[in-house]
Amino acid sequence: MITGFLQPLVDGLTIGVVYVLLAAGLSVIFGVMHVINFAHGELFALGAYFALALVVPFGGTAFFAALFIAPLLVGIIGVAIERYTVRPLYGRNPLYHILLTFGLVLVINDLIYLVWQPGNVNLPVPEILTGTINVLGINASVYNMFIIVFGGVMAFAVWAMLEYTKYGLIIRAGSQDRQMVRNLGIDIDRYYSLVFGMGAALAAVAGIILGGYQTVSPEMGMSVIIPAFVIVVLGGLGSFKGAVVGGLLVGVIQTVLRTYAPIFEGMVIFLLMIAVLLLRPRGLFGVETEEEGGELLTGSGGFLEPQTRKQLAIGMIALLALVPLGVGTLYSAYAVTLMIEIIIWGLFALSLDFVMGYTGLVSLGHALFYGLGAYAVAITLLHVSQSAFIAIGLAIVISAAIAWFVGFLSIRVGGVYFAMITLAFAELFYNMLYRLDITGGSEGLFGISTYYGIAGMGPTLGDIGFYVGPVALTGQSLFYYIALGALIASFLITRRMLNSPFGSVLKSIRENEQRSTFIGYETTIYKRRAFVISGALAGLAGGLFTLNAGYATPSFAYWLHSGEVIVMVILGGMGTLYGPIIGAGVFFGLEEILTGFTARWRLVLGTIFVLFVIFLPRGLVSLPAQLAPYVSGGSGPGPEPEPAPDEPSVRGDD
Amino acid sequence: MTRGGKPQGRRRDVLKAITAGSVAGITGLAGCVGDPDEMENGDDDDFDTVQFGVLEPFTGEFSDLAEERHQGTELAIEQINESDEYDFEIEYDDYDTQLDPATATQRAEQAVQSDGAQFITGCISSSAALAINDFALENEVVYTPGAADTSITGANCNEYVFRFETSTAQIAEVMAQWTADELGDQIVYHIADYAYGESVLNEVETRMESISDDYEQVGVTRSDPGSTDFEAFISQIADVSDEADALVVGMTGADLAIFLSQAGARGLQDEIPIVTTTGSFRAVRAGAGDGAYNTYSGVRYIPDIDTGDNQEFVEAYEAEYGDLPDNFSRVGYESIRMVANGIREAGSRNPSTVAETLSGMEHDTIFGPNEFRECDQQAMNPVWMGECVEPDSGELADVELLEELTGEEAAPDCEDTGCEL
Repeated sequence: MITGFLQPLVDGLTIGVVYVLLAAGLSVIFGVMHVINFAHGELFALGAYFALALVVPFGGTAFFAALFIAPLLVGIIGVAIERYTVRPLYGRNPLYHILLTFGLVLVINDLIYLVWQPGNVNLPVPEILTGTINVLGINASVYNMFIIVFGGVMAFAVWAMLEYTKYGLIIRAGSQDRQMVRNLGIDIDRYYSLVFGMGAALAAVAGIILGGYQTVSPEMGMSVIIPAFVIVVLGGLGSFKGAVVGGLLVGVIQTVLRTYAPIFEGMVIFLLMIAVLLLRPRGLFGVETEEEGGELLTGSGGFLEPQTRKQLAIGMIALLALVPLGVGTLYSAYAVTLMIEIIIWGLFALSLDFVMGYTGLVSLGHALFYGLGAYAVAITLLHVSQSAFIAIGLAIVISAAIAWFVGFLSIRVGGVYFAMITLAFAELFYNMLYRLDITGGSEGLFGISTYYGIAGMGPTLGDIGFYVGPVALTGQSLFYYIALGALIASFLITRRMLNSPFGSVLKSIRENEQRSTFIGYETTIYKRRAFVISGALAGLAGGLFTLNAGYATPSFAYWLHSGEVIVMVILGGMGTLYGPIIGAGVFFGLEEILTGFTARWRLVLGTIFVLFVIFLPRGLVSLPAQLAPYVSGGSGPGPEPEPAPDEPSVRGDD
Repeated sequence: MTRGGKPQGRRRDVLKAITAGSVAGITGLAGCVGDPDEMENGDDDDFDTVQFGVLEPFTGEFSDLAEERHQGTELAIEQINESDEYDFEIEYDDYDTQLDPATATQRAEQAVQSDGAQFITGCISSSAALAINDFALENEVVYTPGAADTSITGANCNEYVFRFETSTAQIAEVMAQWTADELGDQIVYHIADYAYGESVLNEVETRMESISDDYEQVGVTRSDPGSTDFEAFISQIADVSDEADALVVGMTGADLAIFLSQAGARGLQDEIPIVTTTGSFRAVRAGAGDGAYNTYSGVRYIPDIDTGDNQEFVEAYEAEYGDLPDNFSRVGYESIRMVANGIREAGSRNPSTVAETLSGMEHDTIFGPNEFRECDQQAMNPVWMGECVEPDSGELADVELLEELTGEEAAPDCEDTGCEL
């Protein structure tokens, strides 16, 4: 009986300790610097690869040397990352760190691919750490015991450092109130590099010991980053104790459930996080401090006169409307296919901008609604009606309804916690898609056809054609106009909403939620409404995709897509509605061009993101204003000055 | 600006415009129902080149397998272009599917619409391959997938899809027979909880049931695809290892490599024989390290086999890339060769004509005489059972073959495939 209980405990502690090491660095980095470091997983992988580079030529015993050398190297890389990429961003909203570190993920991951071969490699461990131990009927490998002991000692050392040294004191103080530490005359900025480097080194240690336990592969960072974030949020951002308790808790609970309730495997950490955040919105051990929002730099469209902008917009639409006419003469039909993709993702990005750019709610789970729309269309077409109108209608309604529910539960928490809780819902949905029969499991739903009409009356796009001179518009080209129409309609509707009193309230929430509340607005209700509209539009985007492509797969709801759409919004310029559409175009355009040149195109894309977020944070739409002074020789409105890093005056009114 | 009647009016205008637009659109559609000219895919007897689109997951978890497969593909194309036996040349572009069905389809569209590909090959993950299955039918291009999912030439088959990759059903045949004969019929399973794992479970189980009346499923544990921690499952399997004769593992790729590595550290291999579907892949053996030693695996291909012109292939491959081919290289290689044979035989590069020709056509392959049989267009590949053993030198486990089933013996009956061609 005792064995039955102890075995899962030992099994769970092994992975739990690794989680602790990962989450501790992540948590302290966030606590002190408010940086959401998506690249943490890649630093973890880098640690394992550096160790591999040492162990392979020198044999198993070099493993112990690697345990110290590799984290040191990764720590140095961490310091460099802080110095040259993160530092220019201090004082801005943590959202920008998502884009920055997302770019870094692409860069570091592709560098790993470049330097080391792809695929899983075994990291040999010293002879002394192999074999198994049998005590009290528990069976465990020596290496597992090593992980628990070594990881435990490392965690203890970090705790002691934080608790009993002067550095630790300053770091802890910094994670509670940066400004206060600064007021005391301590140059906390200097400590940032140290904290970042330490966090990176801890991640590297975790990577090495886990590498010996699993295998080393370029994807290993990707597979741990989400659990690591969940643990950090669960324990409370910035709390070392939280990271320890969260890590061990998740490790053990996951393992126990695998034995006794395997159906929850994969979902448990997200359910746990949602539950904790609803009961304790700042995590188990989070400190109840007011979050420093930092500046959200929305794109400013003030460069052109309203009249000129209107003409430009009409011109753009006219130009877009002409695209299918050039097929066969100017370019191939693929141009239309690519444009459809951009339009659908433009719509998706626009939907996110409506909540992110206008209420400041960063949803890291927007792929949920995209996937929902896609599956609603697929299931409707397969089981209910083949009418495209009914399917799309249902997709919008269902996405809106689920968005209301998710919004109802999520909007009570703010900032990063909101991002994480929406991520949790999206991951639950993703998991569900894999498990349910009606969604076709891991393979998804295929072979879906539709007609454009109602009650069995109406044509399919392949059956009809318009003839414009020598060009026949049919199939894809007709769908292009449907997608374009949907995008323009969505744009006009959302813009109209934003010009209404409702929109003014949304903007006031973004600027200062507290003041909006003081004026008497129930901001939660307004935010929820915005979220519902956003969810419905994202559902429309996903629905349109499936309508055209004829299939839906779980990958639609994968968290990476939520990340990509955030990138598009920031790339284009958030808070502008049209910026994100441009962002989608640039994102796919770049991907299209770069994949043609090199298999390591993510490296280039990632570098572009990093440069972008540092030098052009207001997005592409701000580019004309940035360039105007140079072009017109100093006249013109010019860009608004960027807030200086950590300048207290930026949020002096708080 | 935000209050008063003006915006209200504008909202109505917008609504009016949208309604008017859609009404006009519908009447427009109704009024102009014509039959658009189908663009024919060059149905000419006289041609010098054919265009291939090579779709592989060059980025993502399977990028090493993609590279492996791509090398096989390129080698075949190079040989065909240099050979006098074919009076056409193959031109090709490659595209990165990023292991995502949506991206795969997008790239396939690029290949066909923009670059004029009439033939498509590639995709290692089943979901991407299934998406391209559909795409091939819709766009009437010939497709040779690289995934093993049974349904590709089963329930989801169509006349444009020809598969040289050995299907899970074929591998399950040899695994079930050998396991029942040599190990016993009390089986515990561990599978990855998605289509591939479930199909291994189903395929092995139905065969076990027909082989042995006493067959019993001792237990099944399921891990999420992409899992990296199998301790809990290993503990559960160890608990029932006394009752079971063998553990059948329905996982592949990193999942399998990590599972074997962790099972090895816990000594599970000593408690119960472990039988896998893809443990013989070099990528899996490399990842599992010594965890792969003393496990059994169905074998789709190893370079040692002496069938057909395999040894010439191995030699050419080694000369070109300095490394031995593995399963995916031979799939890429022979998929191209067989389609090229079809094009030559048909005397046409029209995919529909080639597809008709290919179905049931005899080829000389690395596995000897072979065909995409008519009922499901699956290649009649032989399959083997093998054991991964400790090598004389180095870390990478060697594969020793234990038993062989011919193509005829391994293929499921046509009426059981679920394919209606």
